[in-house]
Amino acid sequence: MMNTSTEKFLEIRGLKKYFEAGRPSLFSRDTKHVHAVDGVSLTLRRSEVIALVGESGCGKSTLGLLLMGLEDPTEGTVIFEEQDITHLNDHQRKDLRRKIQMVFQDPYESLNPTQTIEEIVTEPLIVHGMGASQQEREERVKKAMEDAGLKPAEVYLSRYPHELSGGQRQRVVIAAALVLEPEIIIADEPVSMLDVSIRAEVINLLAELRISRQIAVIFITHDLGSVGFFADRVAVMYLGRIVEIGTMLEVLEKPQHPYTKALLSVIPVPNPRLRHERIILQGETPNPINIPTGCRFHPRCPVAIDACKLSDPAMTQLSKSHQAACLLVTNK
Amino acid sequence: MQITTSPTPAVPSRPASGLLSFWRSFSRSRTGLIGFWMLVIAIFVAVFAPLLAPYERGASTSVQIDDIYQPPSSAHWFGTDDAGQDVLTNFIYGARVSLTVGFFAAFISIVIGGVFGLVAGFFGGRWENFLMRFTDIMLVIPDLPLTVVIVALTKPSLWNIIFVIGILGWTTTARVVRSQTLAVKSRKFVLRARAIGASKFHILVQHILPLVLPILVVQAVLAISLAILNESTLSFIGLGDPSAPSWGQMLNFAFGRGAMSVGAWWALVVPGFGIVWVVLSLTLLGQGLEQVLNPRLDTHHLMAGRPVVQKEAGAKPIQSDVLLEVQNLSIHYVGEGKAPARAVENISFTLREGELIGLVGESGCGKTTLMLALLKLLPSAGQIANGKVFYNGNDLTVMDEEEINKIRWSNISIVFQGAMNALNPVRTVGEQIGEAILKHEPSFPKDKLNARVSELLELVGIASDHREHFPHQYSGGMRQRAMIAMALACNPKVIIADEPTTALDVMIQAQILELLDTLRKKLGLAVIFVTHDLGVVAELCDKVLVMYGGVTAEYAEVDVIYNEPKHPYTQELLKAFPDLTKPKKKLSSIPGYPPRLDNLPAGCRFAPRCPAAFERCHTDEPALHAPQKDHIVGCHLAEASK
Amino acid sequence: MDRTRAILRKAAWSVFTIFFVIILNFFLFRVLPGDPARAGIRDPRLNKDAIEALRVRFGLDKPVINCFETLNPIKVGSCAVNPMETQFFIYIKNLLQGELGYSYHTNRPVVDVLGERLWNTILLIGAGQILAIVFGVAFGIFAAWRARTSIDYMAVGASLVAWSLPTFWLAILLLFWGSTIGLPVAGKATPGMSSYPLLQQWGDIAKHMLLPTLTYTIVYMGEYTLIMRSSLLDVLSEDYILTAKAKGLNTVQILRDHALKNAMLPLVTVIAINLGFTVAGVIQIESVFSWPGLGSAIYEAVVRRDFPMLQGAFLLIAVTVILANLLADLTYTYLDPRVRVE
Repeated sequence: MMNTSTEKFLEIRGLKKYFEAGRPSLFSRDTKHVHAVDGVSLTLRRSEVIALVGESGCGKSTLGLLLMGLEDPTEGTVIFEEQDITHLNDHQRKDLRRKIQMVFQDPYESLNPTQTIEEIVTEPLIVHGMGASQQEREERVKKAMEDAGLKPAEVYLSRYPHELSGGQRQRVVIAAALVLEPEIIIADEPVSMLDVSIRAEVINLLAELRISRQIAVIFITHDLGSVGFFADRVAVMYLGRIVEIGTMLEVLEKPQHPYTKALLSVIPVPNPRLRHERIILQGETPNPINIPTGCRFHPRCPVAIDACKLSDPAMTQLSKSHQAACLLVTNK
Repeated sequence: MQITTSPTPAVPSRPASGLLSFWRSFSRSRTGLIGFWMLVIAIFVAVFAPLLAPYERGASTSVQIDDIYQPPSSAHWFGTDDAGQDVLTNFIYGARVSLTVGFFAAFISIVIGGVFGLVAGFFGGRWENFLMRFTDIMLVIPDLPLTVVIVALTKPSLWNIIFVIGILGWTTTARVVRSQTLAVKSRKFVLRARAIGASKFHILVQHILPLVLPILVVQAVLAISLAILNESTLSFIGLGDPSAPSWGQMLNFAFGRGAMSVGAWWALVVPGFGIVWVVLSLTLLGQGLEQVLNPRLDTHHLMAGRPVVQKEAGAKPIQSDVLLEVQNLSIHYVGEGKAPARAVENISFTLREGELIGLVGESGCGKTTLMLALLKLLPSAGQIANGKVFYNGNDLTVMDEEEINKIRWSNISIVFQGAMNALNPVRTVGEQIGEAILKHEPSFPKDKLNARVSELLELVGIASDHREHFPHQYSGGMRQRAMIAMALACNPKVIIADEPTTALDVMIQAQILELLDTLRKKLGLAVIFVTHDLGVVAELCDKVLVMYGGVTAEYAEVDVIYNEPKHPYTQELLKAFPDLTKPKKKLSSIPGYPPRLDNLPAGCRFAPRCPAAFERCHTDEPALHAPQKDHIVGCHLAEASK
Repeated sequence: MDRTRAILRKAAWSVFTIFFVIILNFFLFRVLPGDPARAGIRDPRLNKDAIEALRVRFGLDKPVINCFETLNPIKVGSCAVNPMETQFFIYIKNLLQGELGYSYHTNRPVVDVLGERLWNTILLIGAGQILAIVFGVAFGIFAAWRARTSIDYMAVGASLVAWSLPTFWLAILLLFWGSTIGLPVAGKATPGMSSYPLLQQWGDIAKHMLLPTLTYTIVYMGEYTLIMRSSLLDVLSEDYILTAKAKGLNTVQILRDHALKNAMLPLVTVIAINLGFTVAGVIQIESVFSWPGLGSAIYEAVVRRDFPMLQGAFLLIAVTVILANLLADLTYTYLDPRVRVE
């Protein structure tokens, strides 16, 4: 279906990001760390769509920021088009910033209220010095806006963000990303602040763009249900790690990790005739400062065994594309 | 959680020119306008002083005793001063001095303060540390004594005074600019600019500066007024420039040269009046500008509500097991000089013991307004225009505050959305729960109160030692559960839950939904569950009321809504909602946006977006039809299929 | 633990600020061209030797900070090798011993004069602040509660006008009015009162205090009204007020148990920041009413070019304000649980 060459487009190996948590107290030297991302490995192919799914605190947003170079990794490597881009300074990163773009969650805050739509979508071109003349820039802007579904572009150019609806604003953000002709778009919860009836607009737009412009999409969300028709693969994250990854159908229909199973069971289904047994985990996700020993999920896992307290399971290959990090899966 | 009508635009309207729209919002503030015109008059007087003044300054070369302190007359409208000079002339020229000092000194302060604040806020690190520490020190040191000391030790010339006032007046500006810079720096569009690869300089100029400039303007106005006050005080103390007689100087001479003992009130009142005029104009102007920048709503929750339109109690409902019956409820928002916004029109539903009804709708459909109206908690602009709310046979809409306070919480309680600030941050959670109990059962034994509060917390899965904690020590999920515990404190019959799990993780949501379900079964609790999540409604509810644009779209039992929906909106909404059991289902969306409640389309409110709309839909509002028993549909199509 | 550390840190910072002020104070008076040597000893009747003797007496012949000819453009007199002989060190030494020099005007120790006056100023500020806070808070609450009604507009209007009045002008007007109705208009006590019984003495002082305190109260009450009003308006639009209303609490209960404490917190901050500006008002009021306090000490010192007095008064005022600020800061930390309990 998709153009999936075997060339490794984007590869992440053992990526970690620790934040310092407060200052060391008078009595202890150790600084506590927030293990926001704690060892993530992932590959992405050209124009592939991969969904990063998880609850708050699982590190998915931080992972997005790391890939964008807006945060520096503590450990690990990121390789893009065969080039190590892990530790680049702002100047070296500039060209990358053209190729990897980000769409944020809040359409109301992503746009500067004092800029017109035209200024917003033209800005990236100016920053990168793209477009030889004003006319050429205007054309690029128009094309990007229309590709983002803002047709006819002229109507929107001189408006201000507050005059547009949430869905339209999100399209402006996408247009501003498209104008640089990116190769990867990282969308961090792009629709969670929009009304249900217009979420599909934006998701469908991203799906179209993936085909028409060959853009890979990393779709970060907490809403597993919305990734269904759009994602090629799904990665489920918990406390900074990927606990299960596979094709969309594999993960959604044959989940192997207990966390994935629990998550899928509690997502409400809009069909009253399908009220089913739910695996409700008790308590809350632990603080990423104190990662549990052994398997990080064991304190809440409904099927944990003694061994789970001791060993941190590695990813077990279940099929060509499907992996899960669970002792019970390994032992099968 | 401000209750406002949703700010959705239809099609983007004409472009708003920057300056014109600014003037329009500015002129809405009366204080701002008054201040502006007062200042214009003052500047006019200063600029055209030679034309306006009746005499030349310093006209008399010798001082005649007879001329000193002459009361106001036709020759001298404001009398004469201690040197026989015309007070009015000096007054007019004094405006020049005061305004000059004000503007130039303020200019210096604003430049220093602005630069310090921007650098500290934008670059952070050591710069911020040093600059802010320095600002803090200078802020603490009392400024007038320091100004006095410096001016006393240097030349008392006008430019010297301007300079000293200027270099001592930047502290507040620096603090304010720094806060604003920090605030803007943390906004998402700045992050996006970084993500695009914009340089620091670009971000500073394109993004930070435009949003800091307005603050700087307000500070400038304030700085001018303070500078003028400072200068007049310095002059009064005797540190002014004798060759540039400002209003303060005039007062210095008058006070020091016996105006009081002679009773020459004009020499004392007139110059002071000038100072008050200018400073007041600037203060009012500043207030007006502030209002444009940070529009404060000027309404609060304790303002008196509007009277209900229908004063008589309605006919009581027939069925006896009905706890809550809402009949044809309509709610309007009344604004100044505008037609009222018909936020909710003609809503009816019933609730029995142990029943769970889901209220489904998207932003701007009026569901929160509806819930608030049930307990008469509408903001001051809200009004129950029609309809009844019966609880246990009593009409709540005609009750006064005292009567309904007895019903609130003890019979019907409410859990708000986004409990971030729904609990008072300076009181412990336990106290706030206990307060509810004591309000409705004043004779509850005090020694048993703590035990009861702990019991309630444990019921929702919170360890009892958290009773003594403050809301900010609770996580988001815990806070919401604490709100539920509080809502249960007085054993109500009905709980209204307004989007209680919207901001929470799906696992926490599952915990809370399970809790509500258990409570319903154990205690016979009836629940109104407001949400936009069709999945949650399918899992939990017995009945569903779908709202659109403030009216009923569809109202039926849950199975009917999901499997035999008749209203196009319900059908489209179901198509737009993802279903995990059908992961490959392509999601559809409904083009367009919800209607503005103060600018409703003629006819059916959903018609502009409805795929099945025909001619009549755009002209006639549909009535509520019942295509089968217990199934209400607000659509013209339902009429035909009866 | 954290809380104690926070308190210690704030206290240390205040001490540092005080040091800064001390040093600033010294350098201002030595660096700025209004050289006390030239100004204070300008009496034309003195001959050169007498002037020199006076300079030695006031220590003005010693170098200011150090003795390296090339590096010190502000040295006065011959260069001494011993740093302890510099004016700066003598200044610090004197300070530590509680000595602030001698007034050029009266020749009395500055400390003595200021010591007498300090309490008068505190009395005035104390009475004025308390009244200003009480009335300001009361009017502010009322205005917020009845927001957008005529009471609100009047309260806000009156407060804005009060804020725009120059303090000394208001003082003059009240002085004028007071003199026409027979109130005492100068000083702290009627001369000769000390022979009367204590109660009558206090009554006399109170009569003298009336106008100055009234002036002070009017000026600051306006500001507090505005702050309290906007703070309470903010609080009353918060979600937890709606929750309280939904719980069935009546208006008085909500104001008392939920709104007031939250609304007062910003006011504490403002009162603290205001302390510096309060001093400005005090200087003006005391000067106009000849109230014998620190403010009028500054005024008189300026008029008479009595620099040791000016220097001493400035230092004392600055240190008092810094300490008062610290107190207010600590009070806020104590009151706000969000800061208190982490």
